[in-house]
Amino acid sequence: MFLDRWFPEVRFNIDDGYLEGLARGFKAGILNRTDYLNLVQCETIDDLKLHLQSTDYGNFLANEPSPLQVAVIDEKLKEKMVQEFRHIRNQAVEPLSTFLDYVTYSYMIDNIVLLITGSLHGRPIGELIAKCHPLGSFEQMEALNIASTTAELYNAVIVDTPLAPFFADCISEQDLDEMNIEIIRNKLYKAYLEAFYDFCYGLGGTTREVMCEILAFEADRRCFTITINSFGTELSKDDRVNLYPTCGKLYPYGIAGLTRASDYDQVRMVAENFAEYKKIFDDIGTQGQGGEKTLEDKFFEYEVKLNVNGFMQQFHYGVFYSLFKLKEQECRNIVWIAECVAQRHRTKIDNYIPIF
Amino acid sequence: MGTLFRSQEMALCQFFLQSEAAYCCTAELGEIGAAQFRDLNKDINAFQRKFVNEIRRCDDMERILRFLEKECQKEKVPVLRLGENPMAPMPRELVDLESTLEKLEREIKEVNVNFEALKRSNLELLEMKYVLKKAQQTFELDGMAVLNPESKSDTELLGTGHDATQVHRGVHISFLAGTIPLIKVEAFERLIWRISRGTVLLRTSNIEFPLEDPATGDEILKATFFAFFQGDTLRVKIRKVCEAFRATIYPVPDSPAEIREMSIQVMTRLEDLKTLIGHTQQHRHMVLLASAKNLDLWEIKVQKIEAVYALMNCFNIDTTQRCFIGEAWVPHQDMEAIRLGLLRGSEKAECSVPSFITPIKTAETPPTYHKTNKFTSGFQAIVDAYGVSTYREVNPAPFTVITFPFLFAVMFGDAGHGFIMACLAGLLLWKEKAIMAKRDKGEIATTIFGGRYIIFLMGLFSIYTGLIYNDIFSKSFNIFGSRWYPRTSIYNLTMEADKLAGATFQLDPTPNALLGSDYRYEGRYSIGGPYPFGLDPAWAMSSNKINFINSYKMKMSVIFGVFHMAFGIVLSCFNHTYFKRRVNIICEFIPQMIFLMCMFGYLVILIFYKWTKFDASTSGCSPSLLIGLINMFLMKNEPNPKNQDGTECHMFKFYNSQESLEKALVVVAVLCFPWMLLSKPLYQRWRQGRVAYSTVRAAGSDTESVESGQSRSPTSVPDEGGHGDGHNEGFADVMIYQGIHTIEFCLGIISNTASYLRLWALSLAHSQLSEVLWNMALRKGFMMNNIGGAIVLFTIFAWWACATFGILICMEGMSAFLHALRLHWVEFQNKFYQGTGHAFEPFDFKKTHSTARLDQD
Repeated sequence: MFLDRWFPEVRFNIDDGYLEGLARGFKAGILNRTDYLNLVQCETIDDLKLHLQSTDYGNFLANEPSPLQVAVIDEKLKEKMVQEFRHIRNQAVEPLSTFLDYVTYSYMIDNIVLLITGSLHGRPIGELIAKCHPLGSFEQMEALNIASTTAELYNAVIVDTPLAPFFADCISEQDLDEMNIEIIRNKLYKAYLEAFYDFCYGLGGTTREVMCEILAFEADRRCFTITINSFGTELSKDDRVNLYPTCGKLYPYGIAGLTRASDYDQVRMVAENFAEYKKIFDDIGTQGQGGEKTLEDKFFEYEVKLNVNGFMQQFHYGVFYSLFKLKEQECRNIVWIAECVAQRHRTKIDNYIPIF
Repeated sequence: MGTLFRSQEMALCQFFLQSEAAYCCTAELGEIGAAQFRDLNKDINAFQRKFVNEIRRCDDMERILRFLEKECQKEKVPVLRLGENPMAPMPRELVDLESTLEKLEREIKEVNVNFEALKRSNLELLEMKYVLKKAQQTFELDGMAVLNPESKSDTELLGTGHDATQVHRGVHISFLAGTIPLIKVEAFERLIWRISRGTVLLRTSNIEFPLEDPATGDEILKATFFAFFQGDTLRVKIRKVCEAFRATIYPVPDSPAEIREMSIQVMTRLEDLKTLIGHTQQHRHMVLLASAKNLDLWEIKVQKIEAVYALMNCFNIDTTQRCFIGEAWVPHQDMEAIRLGLLRGSEKAECSVPSFITPIKTAETPPTYHKTNKFTSGFQAIVDAYGVSTYREVNPAPFTVITFPFLFAVMFGDAGHGFIMACLAGLLLWKEKAIMAKRDKGEIATTIFGGRYIIFLMGLFSIYTGLIYNDIFSKSFNIFGSRWYPRTSIYNLTMEADKLAGATFQLDPTPNALLGSDYRYEGRYSIGGPYPFGLDPAWAMSSNKINFINSYKMKMSVIFGVFHMAFGIVLSCFNHTYFKRRVNIICEFIPQMIFLMCMFGYLVILIFYKWTKFDASTSGCSPSLLIGLINMFLMKNEPNPKNQDGTECHMFKFYNSQESLEKALVVVAVLCFPWMLLSKPLYQRWRQGRVAYSTVRAAGSDTESVESGQSRSPTSVPDEGGHGDGHNEGFADVMIYQGIHTIEFCLGIISNTASYLRLWALSLAHSQLSEVLWNMALRKGFMMNNIGGAIVLFTIFAWWACATFGILICMEGMSAFLHALRLHWVEFQNKFYQGTGHAFEPFDFKKTHSTARLDQD
């Protein structure tokens, strides 16, 4: 139809207007700088709880007897976020529902890898399940430890999950060892990111504009991390190529550069060619440390910035993705502060990443 | 009335509370509930305040109380809520309460743990029972594993005996049996099939009735399963899958005899468990029953303690640590009560040094506090919804008590509908206490209940206006006997009755109207005079009813409107005198009044004049009010024409020299405009110049007295609007402000008068709608003259009654309500009401309790 083609925003609110409003409402509850400044001043975890009560989190800790554990806070934070996500997901219709499902896939991948690694080390499955992110849980999750090879894993368990198409590349008869699991994780991520990217691209409109930007960064970040982490391991350069997601801005020239890179400076040389990454690499010292912040933190900061920008436009799905990424970052921040408070380790308490 | 006319006089007071007595005094203040405290520690975080520990303990106790309440609900023990209001307990009671609660919590938790363990084993035994039963059926009926005595010897028991192995035709076939939640069965089957490539035979069957989950107490559906397989690798795999799906595996022996034996064992153990569970449950029930009695009391106490400490966190502590200093707005009236309260508090705390309050001077605007009762609170809420009145300005609420239901009734005018409305509201009033005690009424019900007195008055007034309109469910009552008499020619009985039934008649009150009228008006000449109250019922069936009523209602609307607005302007004068703004009386009140009177006041006079001057015989050539008004402004005038018989027909003029008077009125009204627009800013400019002059002359010696001569009124109200701030604002700002207000007022007078015509429009709509409903529905039932008519009437009446209630009373009532609201907020209040105050929010235990309740619900 003419309207859909040229003005997709016109009909956005019919299906997704309420949910977008909801998402923006949730976003308004994200802690701001003053909240963080107050949190940082806390002496004990109970102080932290008292302050969180005055924010949007309200009474989410009211029914927990003191003394509070940081793990309980973490769990409750996640629970609240998952509750919000489920609420939105349950109301969503196509294509938003698929979009939201894609958001959960990344958590699923993490969970799968966590479970396989854990069971390799002989940890009991119950303990591992507790560590999994509840957003990425799926029915067959607990049965993951049955398999001992990737093919078996695929045939028995993964084939029923929505991750099956991403897994196709990783099937081999190799045993599951640590190296292989890492490779599987990265291959899964590559396939997932590319699929998500294509999906968002296909949605068109503002969603494409916002989401492709965020996902491209996500892909590039993975390329950098994979490269840097592969130094000094037995992963060959040829294998590395297969792990790079190809939906980022680095593709194809940057990736070609990264493939040849064999130390940190060469990675840095590649980043020099891209304005946004140059800035990130400039701010930190050589070798990824030495400066005040690590490369990872800088990436997180950039991600937060992109996600905050997602809220600048209306009538697109990026707000949902951004909301939950920001919420996740917020959970990390609060848990970090809580840990610092609990362990009386105040020197690093300021290393959280403020959102607004 | 006296107390509601202006808000209470407030004073900012400093409280000096001795540190030993501070708690008791604060608690007393909470019981009195007449002081709005200010947070003196705004820049201190919640967790850095003095009494944060106490608050935290209260939070913890509230958590325990919530836990207890939840347990009570789970156990279906009713929580007693007697609506008691215990005094805030002393701080030392806090410790006792805390330990009691903690003991209770520990006890219940312990019982719960035991209970859960018992339940769990109960569940396991139950499941085992089903598995064994199924095993019996499977082996006996299906004949799948006919266990011969010979093969039994070959049976090897593996592991801990949790599973059985059979030898069947030389092949080892083992099986695992257990239970699994029903929702997981499908995925479980699929996974088993996948890992074994179809070599495992899985049999599942549902357990018919739901089992209870011991942890949550929810009901869950489960299924039993039997997995038959060969070899140990598969066994390990199946066990892993079972683990993953939270399936429980039960040891099942392989011979029917053993199964039977085991079943009996399970049964006996189940019986034992049942008595045990019964005992535990009884114990739990007793504990909860005991706590349910006190739960409400404890809740209130804890909330009070918490409120007291939260307030004490807002106090300053003086340097010697001996006393707390708080600041609060207190109404002058309640000062004595608060002093007594402080005295009581000191006594209770056995503190020899008294705590006291002293008023302090401040330039801040005090909060607005209207002392309302249950009757006036609804009307005050209507006014406050628009804006809380500025401190000490005239409060429209006392007038709203009458004008609001009245204007509503003018639009809603139907005695029948009004009667139903009054009855419903009367029911609410009658059951007031019972409803008030009930909590969690729901939002809409709470709103309606809050406005019960408004609705009651609206109903009563509607009965009154309905009788005036003679409209009762759209029908008229002939109470005093109509003053219209039929002309005999109609009732000469040659006409058939059928034709007469639905016929309408034209009514013409002219005494010698021969042709137009079917009825003759006798009121003027007969002894009784005109119909004594309201509309003559004969109009109800006349065809020119609408013409007659419209003219009457329209004129009435304008009269009400002009009076209402004039009253609003008069009220503004009260404000000006009270706040000592004499300049406003001269520069605003007087020209405004003249402006209104010259235009629409004159119109009202003309309406009355027309009503009295012209009677039925001369009404044919009476002048039109509307045309007259338009001509007045256009300054057009035409001479009255003469009748054929030489008398004057008042077609264009009411009276002689009308033209010159009207011209004068228009000129005066137009002159009012620059008066309103310019006089005040110019006066202020002049005065400002004088002040500047005197400042120079007196060299700052006595400027104060001149400058603040006006704002130093005894009430110390900072002036709002252009006047007080005129010193700082430029002349242009004052001019623009005044311009906006003047234009708004002048245009407003015209548009507001027109707006009052909604009184007519809505009442017309209401009466027409109810008439349509009567004609379309109930009349159909009356029109059948046989026995079938009774049945039709019976069914139609229900429909008519529902529609009358739903559409005419609820929906029309709502719309009339909204229009009345608008007439008050916009047309009436904008003449005098500023509504820029902030409400008084005293520290009151009743409020903290109810809000806490709301939060929980």
